[in-house]
Amino acid sequence: MITVKDLHKSYGKLEVLKGISCEIDASQVVCVIGPSGSGKSTFLRCLNLLESITSGTVVINGHDLGDRKLNTSAVRQDVGMVFQQFNLFPHMKVLENIMIAPVKVAKKPKAVTREKALELLDKVGLASKADVYPSALSGGQQQRVAIARALAMDPTVMLFDEPTSALDPETVGDVLQVMKRLAEEGMTMVVVSHEMGFAREVADRVIFMDGGVIVEDGNPAEIFDNPKEARTQAFLSRVS
Amino acid sequence: MTWYLGDLIPYMPLLLQGLWISIYISVLSFVFGSVLGLFAYLAKASRWRVLRGISGAYIEVVRNVPLLVVLYLIYFGLTQFGVNLDPLWSTLIALTINNGAYVAEILRAGFEAVPKGLREAAHALGMNSAQTFRYAILVPGIRNVFPAMTNQFILLFLFSSVASVIALPELTNQLLRVNSETLRTFEVFTVGALLYYVVSSVLAIGSRLGEKRLFRW
Amino acid sequence: MVGDFVQFLPALAKGAGTTAILCIIAAVAGSLLGLVIGLMRSSSWAVVRWISAIFTNFLRGIPLLIILLFTYFALPLLIPGAIFSQMVSGAIGLTLFVSAYIGEVVRGSIESVPKGQFEAAEALGMNFAQKFRYVIMPQAMRVIVPPWVGIILAMIKDSSLVSVIGLVELTQAGKIVGTSTMEPLVAFVLVGAVYFVICYPLGHFGRWYEKRLKASGFNVPHQATATDILDEEPGPRVGGNQ
Repeated sequence: MITVKDLHKSYGKLEVLKGISCEIDASQVVCVIGPSGSGKSTFLRCLNLLESITSGTVVINGHDLGDRKLNTSAVRQDVGMVFQQFNLFPHMKVLENIMIAPVKVAKKPKAVTREKALELLDKVGLASKADVYPSALSGGQQQRVAIARALAMDPTVMLFDEPTSALDPETVGDVLQVMKRLAEEGMTMVVVSHEMGFAREVADRVIFMDGGVIVEDGNPAEIFDNPKEARTQAFLSRVS
Repeated sequence: MTWYLGDLIPYMPLLLQGLWISIYISVLSFVFGSVLGLFAYLAKASRWRVLRGISGAYIEVVRNVPLLVVLYLIYFGLTQFGVNLDPLWSTLIALTINNGAYVAEILRAGFEAVPKGLREAAHALGMNSAQTFRYAILVPGIRNVFPAMTNQFILLFLFSSVASVIALPELTNQLLRVNSETLRTFEVFTVGALLYYVVSSVLAIGSRLGEKRLFRW
Repeated sequence: MVGDFVQFLPALAKGAGTTAILCIIAAVAGSLLGLVIGLMRSSSWAVVRWISAIFTNFLRGIPLLIILLFTYFALPLLIPGAIFSQMVSGAIGLTLFVSAYIGEVVRGSIESVPKGQFEAAEALGMNFAQKFRYVIMPQAMRVIVPPWVGIILAMIKDSSLVSVIGLVELTQAGKIVGTSTMEPLVAFVLVGAVYFVICYPLGHFGRWYEKRLKASGFNVPHQATATDILDEEPGPRVGGNQ
């Protein structure tokens, strides 16, 4: 599903990613953890071209991101993204937020999209909020709408960039619940998160990054209960 | 149409002389106008209603009436009272009146934008009003006002071209003269535009550098 | 004396009408051109950004009068056989002039939209046109109103300069009436009053709207000044594929 080989990313002289390689299979749920500045968000943003790739190859669902003739829009329709700050469009109601991309970008018929959008809203537990503006929702509710918005494009992969970091503690649970259900349905997910509980419970695999490289990569039980690398041990002892 | 600058060369001293007059009237009316603006600002902030009213009316009228109309009023209109001002004086008065109203607004906006906390902190340290103004308000206020003032000067310089219509021999007026004598229309106005552009750019860059040097905090 | 004047009122009214037509044309055309110039500043092609920056910077660095003289005397020479009426030359000159200022305001209002909005639109696969049409411009348009009003207000006043190329608009009509009645003072006071009656409410509306926006937490871009062109290098908003 996702193949990353020797991915490098620099901003001027500052090298943020220093050679990342990994394979992510379909339906796998991968949590990327690590201290701030470790490059984990940059890595995630490279996967849907929000950051350009300095060198290396990334292939997602058959799209080679290094290809000069690449259709950027097609990749992004295939890869859903959920942001830390939700980034809902404030001038559109909840339902419009979910429908805008399928209707205008994917050119799907309005009626079908509308039904689908309502279904998705129901799925994230916000069926009653279709006609309100995002500003009337709590952070957790906005984030669930943002997940529905991304799902409305029928992505094959979902990327989550610290989806719960900007939320009040009491609303985090609902968002994680939605993500967990998505994982159970077989969605391929890459999640950058500080939620160790979620990583341990839901993820098939945990990647620990530090200083722009992958330090350790394994199943959650291995990483959390029996970390091999000293840097992983140090990080986990600080966050738990 | 062929591009030929040769015809213009004999006229360059004339154009530079015109440019000099443009700069000269801009500087003079900027200085006079700033003083006028300072008084208008103080009057508008004063306790006396009449003063506030007069100043407010002055500012609003000038900001909502074209400079050219003000210039015509002074140059042509005043002749009805037997006051015959020459083009130079008419221009200086019109530009001064115009600049004063804008400067008053710049000062108001700039000093209102000084954080309230500074005033409160100064009072809390036991400073009186004069000390508060001198030590806590003045310098931050000037910093707020500086870029807008230099911008206003550039606008004033560009608008001084209006004086050409009452035959003051500044740059635009000289350009019209050179145009009618050489018939090199395209070249004349291109050279004229470049002269204005160079001066206003130098002023803009100078202002930015000056700001950096003066206000390092 | 006042009786004399009444017979000249139609001439002034006609001049005011000409000013109105000129200003409406320049406001519409200048806003459209300004929108294009402002959007060019967000292009991912450096050449396009620089063309926009140079256009804006140059037009704001020369007097409107020079632009008008150029469009009236010099521009027709570029098109062999063309003769522009004073109205056409005036409208072209005024349009070019305001478009440079409006372009800067468009750029400022685009910059006032949070970066996350650009990223969210891109992450959904939107192209440049879709991103601006559906996501960025609807948000930018809200904050653009006050500075836009300010520019239009200044333009109405500046349109008096078109009298210099001989168009009988309001100011020129006042000058003619003043000469024929030998009452230039009355004529110009009257002309000034007409400008005032149009501009004053417009300015109030702009300030009222700005206050309302600020009260609801919007960051209103201020009117473009001659020096802020130097503030930053033009560039696209998102660090995407450059």
